[in-house]
Order: sequence, then structure tokens, then C-alpha cells
Amino acid sequence: MKKEYKTKHGYEGLLVVIEGTDGSGKSTQLQLLKKSLQDKSYGVMVSEWKTSRLIADVIDDAKERNLLNATTYSLLYAADFADRLENQIIPALKSGFIVLLDRYYYTALARDVVRGQDIEWVKNLYDYAPEPDLVFYLDMPVDVLLKRIIGTTGLDFYESGRDVGFSTDFYNSFEIYQNKCLEQYEKMKKEYGFISIDGTKSIPEIHKVMNNAVLEILNSGVLN
Amino acid sequence: MAKLTEKHNYDGTLICVEGIDGSGKSTQLALLRDWLKSCGKDVIYTEWNSSPLICQTTKLAKKKNMLSPRTFSLLHAVDFADRLQQVIAPALKAGFIVLADRYAYTAFARDVARGVEPKWVRQVYDFAIRPDLTLYFDIDPKTSMERICFNRTPKFYEAGMDLKLSNDPFESYILFQSRVIKEYKKMLSEYDIVKLDANDSIHKKQVKIRELLQQILAEKGVAI
Repeated sequence: MKKEYKTKHGYEGLLVVIEGTDGSGKSTQLQLLKKSLQDKSYGVMVSEWKTSRLIADVIDDAKERNLLNATTYSLLYAADFADRLENQIIPALKSGFIVLLDRYYYTALARDVVRGQDIEWVKNLYDYAPEPDLVFYLDMPVDVLLKRIIGTTGLDFYESGRDVGFSTDFYNSFEIYQNKCLEQYEKMKKEYGFISIDGTKSIPEIHKVMNNAVLEILNSGVLN
Repeated sequence: MAKLTEKHNYDGTLICVEGIDGSGKSTQLALLRDWLKSCGKDVIYTEWNSSPLICQTTKLAKKKNMLSPRTFSLLHAVDFADRLQQVIAPALKAGFIVLADRYAYTAFARDVARGVEPKWVRQVYDFAIRPDLTLYFDIDPKTSMERICFNRTPKFYEAGMDLKLSNDPFESYILFQSRVIKEYKKMLSEYDIVKLDANDSIHKKQVKIRELLQQILAEKGVAI
């Protein structure tokens, strides 16, 4: 079969990203997509934000003890990303895997800019990252997010942006922080060509959109 | 936010020493510290890779040879950012003389010698405060190795073994440190760094350094 699609990063594999704020349903969709692609005999590798064996624990510990300022926050996440990219993601792409990512550097762009970092400085931190073939963005209004988070994990200090000092009230702080993050995502949608999906739709409906988009590329024979 | 390219406006004074290992910079800084203290000045000392937030992780990762050049660079940037904001900047605001054993230039020299883009790493450290005086201790790699490795083998990263320049750690050390020195030399005019001959006597160097510092303090209206 003729290869019509060329990957955007030049590696053998396919790089697919799911972005969205906390509680938007990213991990659920990632698992569904993984299952569906594995059922079709594709090799799938999943990697989540802040999971490098080297640095993830340091971040958790530092957050717990409130040791981070905006700059060390940015740089630690960038180090976590670099470690995962070079040790997991790129090797998997080179071997022809479909790499499914729960968050990519767009998350850092949104969060760091909300924390007052210069956007060009943050972009530079990640400028060596390969361009994904697809970026799905789960678009969720803040009021729905709030209900989801309160109903599951509860409000977390950093997820509520309490470190930024918007408000000492958890609820208000979460609302302000997540709204500011959404603004950043909104700007990135166009700049990076996100496929934006209404996150309030049902789980199967969202899955169908994602699955079809991935299959469309796969049907071009890119991984055959 | 401060910039490495702009003069700072703090009351304090920032003095940095740079150069490869075994160039005698720490000895000189210790002598300078004791002298300043005996003159009744407020002095603090800070060294590379010593922030409680991250230095243990970096040391452990180095021991296990886990670091790619980019992750290596970012972890040291975390360390630097943490010390800058917790130690260096507050001390400068309070009018201290801050003595830094290695500064951002160490990253520019080492990381670029490891293949990281010069522009990228300079941008990462964009938030650094410009020192009032930076001293570079010029030494050849062979003398450096004789001084620090007279009773041990060079360590993995110290010898740049991650670059696979040679399987022999001693030979690799010479090759890698030559690259580091080349990067340092490029920075002398870029950042107004004062070069000292590391082969001069301890006394001769200390006399010169005190002279330089006295000039800088005099410009700030501080007598010593």
C-alpha cells in the first residue's frame, strides 16, 4: 500500500497526545484508545505526565513540602519531560510504536504561563520536543470540572493554583486558576492545531471521534 | 526579573569563580571569604549543585549514569534556580557579598560540551542575576587531572564518559575537559570574565582577586 501519510516528527511510529485540564477525562479516553489500537494488532506505548522514575518523586515531595517557586516548578517538570522523552518516548517512536501521551508540553505552557513565566522562555525549554501527529483537546467548562474534581479526588493545592496566590479560598482559587489555564489552552488550540472535542459528550462518543481520527492515519498504511 | 545580560540593582555584590576541577577556585574563594569576614563584611558562600531540593537526586542519577545531556542540564538548572531564589537573591537584597563557587557559566561550558545547543542553555538560565565579578581559572586539562585524580579514576560524568569519546576514563577526561575549556574561553569576552592563570601561586592569585574586589566595592562606595 502506498504511504500517503508522513509522520510529523520523522520517526517510524505515531505520536498521539490527549490534552485537557484535570478531570476532563483524558486517562479514560487514553485507556479506551489503547485497547482499541491493541485489538487491531498495533504496538502501543502509553506515557503520562510527571512519571519519570528519576524526577516524579522529587516533584511530589517538593510540592508536599511547598518548596517550589515558579521557576523551579517549570524546570522540574521540564526535566521530568526530558527524561521521559529521551528514555521512553523517542525510543518507542523509533521502534514504530503508537505512543499515546496523557498531556504533553502544552500542559507546561498553560500552567507555567499562568504562574507568571514568560511564554517564550517556557517554549524554549521544550523546543526540542517532536511534533505530535495528533493532539486531542478535551474541552470542559470550569463548572463541570469543579463538580468532577470535588466528586472524585477533591481539590488539590497545586491543581487549584493555591501556590500562585489568587485566593486563599480553595473553591475560588480553583475557579480562577482553571479558568486561566483554559484561556491558555484556548490560545494554543489554533496555534498547534488541536482537535478540540466537547468534553461533556459521553465517553463512547468522544472515543469514537478519537478512534476515527487515529484510524484515518493508520489506514494510510503509515505503520505497515 | 533579573537577566544575565543586565547589571543588577541590588545593594549586595556577587562574585563568581569558574573553571574546570582542580583549577584552585575553591581555595581562592575560601581565602576570600575568611578575609571578608575578618573585615567584618556580611558574606555568604554558595556552591554548584547544593540545593536541598534536588542535589541528592542529581548525585544519585549521576552515580547510576542515568542522565541524558538535556536532563543533566535541566536538573542543574533546577538546583541553580532554587539557590538563586532562596539564597543568592535574598542575600544580595540584604547587601551581602555573595561568593558563588561556579555559576551559570559552568552550565554553558559543560552542557554545550555535551552537545546541548548554546542558545538553548543560555535561554534556560535567562533568569540568572549578572555577577559583579566573574573569575575564570585557566588551567590545562592534564594539570587538572593530575591534581584531582592523583589517587582515583575520574568519575563518569566528570570524564564525559556519557559522550563515548574514549573507553579510557583518563583519556576521556582530557578530551571532555578540553571541550569544556574551549567553551569557557568563548565566554570570556561574551560575559566580561576575568581570566587568571591557575598556575600562579596561591598568594599571587589572592592578591589580584582582592584588588579586583576592592575596585568593585569602591565603585559601590564600600571601603574595605
